[in-house]
Amino acid sequence: MTQNQVKILEGNTFVVSDERGDIEASRTDPTGLFSFDTRFLSTWVLTVNGERLTPLSVDDLEYFETRFFLVPGTGTVYVDAKLSVIRQRSVGNGFHEELTILNHDDEPVELVVRLEADCDFADLFEVKDVLKKKGAYSTRLEEGRLVLAYQRDTFSRSTAISSSQPCALDEQGLTFNLSLGPQGSWKTGLDVVTAVLEAASDGGDEGPALAWQVRRPRTDMARNLARWLNAAPRLECDWEPLRTSYRRSLVDLAALRFSPISASGHSLPAAGLPWFMTMFGRDSILTSLQALPFTPELAATTLRELGLRQGTRIDDFRDEDPGRILHELRYGELTAFEERPHSPYYGSADATPLFVVLLDEYERWTGDTRLVRELELEARAALHWIDEYADLQGNGYIAYERRNQETGLENQCWKDSWDSISYRDGTLPGFPRATCELQGYAYDAKVRGARLARLVWHDPALAEALEGQAADLKRRFNRDFWVEDGGYFAIALDADGRRVDSLTSNNGHLLWSGIVDKSKAKAVAGQLMGERLFSGWGVRTLAVGEGRYNPIGYHVGTVWPFDNSFIAWGLRRYGFKAEAARVAAGILEAAEFFDGRLPEAFGGYPRSMTKYPVQYPTACSPQAWSTGAPLLLLTAMLGLEPVGDRLLVDPVLPSTIGHLGLLDIPGRWGRADAFARGRVDTSRPRQHRTR
Amino acid sequence: MEAADGIVEFFEELGRGEHQPLLAKVTGRVRFDLVEGGRPDRWLLAVDKGDVTVWHKGGPADCAVQADRALFERLCRGEENAMAAVLRGALVCSGDVELLFAIQRIFPGPSPERRPQVGVRGSR
Repeated sequence: MTQNQVKILEGNTFVVSDERGDIEASRTDPTGLFSFDTRFLSTWVLTVNGERLTPLSVDDLEYFETRFFLVPGTGTVYVDAKLSVIRQRSVGNGFHEELTILNHDDEPVELVVRLEADCDFADLFEVKDVLKKKGAYSTRLEEGRLVLAYQRDTFSRSTAISSSQPCALDEQGLTFNLSLGPQGSWKTGLDVVTAVLEAASDGGDEGPALAWQVRRPRTDMARNLARWLNAAPRLECDWEPLRTSYRRSLVDLAALRFSPISASGHSLPAAGLPWFMTMFGRDSILTSLQALPFTPELAATTLRELGLRQGTRIDDFRDEDPGRILHELRYGELTAFEERPHSPYYGSADATPLFVVLLDEYERWTGDTRLVRELELEARAALHWIDEYADLQGNGYIAYERRNQETGLENQCWKDSWDSISYRDGTLPGFPRATCELQGYAYDAKVRGARLARLVWHDPALAEALEGQAADLKRRFNRDFWVEDGGYFAIALDADGRRVDSLTSNNGHLLWSGIVDKSKAKAVAGQLMGERLFSGWGVRTLAVGEGRYNPIGYHVGTVWPFDNSFIAWGLRRYGFKAEAARVAAGILEAAEFFDGRLPEAFGGYPRSMTKYPVQYPTACSPQAWSTGAPLLLLTAMLGLEPVGDRLLVDPVLPSTIGHLGLLDIPGRWGRADAFARGRVDTSRPRQHRTR
Repeated sequence: MEAADGIVEFFEELGRGEHQPLLAKVTGRVRFDLVEGGRPDRWLLAVDKGDVTVWHKGGPADCAVQADRALFERLCRGEENAMAAVLRGALVCSGDVELLFAIQRIFPGPSPERRPQVGVRGSR
């Protein structure tokens, strides 16, 4: 069934149906109309004269709109149908569906068209975990609408269904009794409107009630998408797969835009589609970084919105501390009743230093010092958190250990599965854990914070203090995390200060952060490109030969495109241009097998063995930071770097690309172009030849 | 009237004229309409870059927050989370939402006594 699901969305509202356009969700089945992390429609079934329909084709028009071509009957043998049924559906505040019926016969026809509707108002988390509802359901018919409602204390959610053509309403749905003439047609518009919060009044002198503000009118999304694509830099390239990936990334990034109610229409990247269409500290920040040279406004919104929700108190249930940047925000019933901590939840150890990293990188590209001034307090609080609240081992390193033992996250770094952090022999360390990339991010945050303090906040004393701390951290880190007999950095220090000594892709993030001593960089790059980590497609999360290595293990052997994009950027930072190009080539060549849409992860099998990348099965696609990966790989291949008010271009291309141009790159220079020429290796056969 | 004192105390503390660093970027007027038995008890806050003035009265505001009196008492004691209460419809807000996000910082965190057990550090 999952194979044939059709998904459309806008912001955090999305519809998952079968290929007839029908929804028949069980409590555990993730289909339906969802908005604000709540299911607003769990049954939506169309019949004609009591019969279900058969799909002829589905047109995915855009990410927010789809069209189903259907004929009556469900027989296995194709019936010579005299009727066509077309459902065209677009998402807005709920969804709108244009239902058209065409009579192809020379005879008139009498039809009973029926739409069954129902809703369980399940929280997204309930769909995953199967929990019993505690509130009460009701159904009412009012003013030509069928209203399905759910109430638990003051918590209320409702769905109102109406038709533009007359119909008979009952508590289970809508019925149309039609007479269609020869070659006749009939059409109705169906509106399914969701309501979050009780909208008893439309507000007073202060302005509209929140319940009204969360309703979004359907905007001209087609024009909005066209404008988005037009504003992005133009890519010229003789290697078609890159052009396909680039276009796919831009469209998917548009679909992944999420506009929180407080952002006055501005958007930030949500984490993934459809289940993670919400703000995630880590995902939103890393995707904004990847997209900075292409769509810098995403970074600005990410920074503002995360800043607005920065932690201010000690709250163990939410793993909140003052200055901490949130991990995940949710709006559903379980969050509302504090049965889940996502209002928001703060259990992430990397989002806070990365917040400062993004603020600085944003300024370097855009020159927007106003935002740096605006977020001065938030950035200072984030820097303060690193030293004051994150040093759980008492040794000057960021570490994590959840205080919410029931519903908090055990691993608060990007490799967040239970077995992702292990010693060589496969055993797992206790808590708190100080993973290595966190120290890199902290170092980078201090260096960048110092730059901003001097340049924008006019606080040279803070700048000096931060620079001193950064130098000290770098010195200690290169001593404490270095695995001498391996020639790489340990993935973590355990609670006793012992190195968790497995070889992992995290070393690439360390290069990106700049914390690696120059004298050690060559060894680290060598490990990343060596046989144990590099599969031919990309760098594995965990090296071959480690106790827990598994080529299809989530964080213990698979290749993550997002991870590799930062590794490539890190290799560039230390001057390993050809190596960066090799990583870029591997990942972009893998993208070709997924029609340009990179999955979250794929298998770590050697490229020579499988010939194609084996996709890791996940429910979430596209995922924001996989979508952003081709963008950062482009930046790495072109060697784009803001230097003062100019854009520096220092390209090294892989052998698949002859010429590459990126035109109209936005930044503090206005718009700039970047060009590169490569030496194409024509001896290698290609899957797809360029025209 | 013991319960009522918690709220009066909370607002009086806020209005004592001390600069609130958590509201340093906030400027605007917020009104709290506390309901008990139909009669709203209104408190008006004017925030000017962290300097707070409090009146025990109604008046025009950029953001209005309506709550059950008992719920508000729990907010003042750090026993409720404001954002969860908004999602639940227990805090009803109208007007400037950004101001709501900012102003909820005035409520204290859960008191240490109420904190769940912190995991044993360094366990292996």
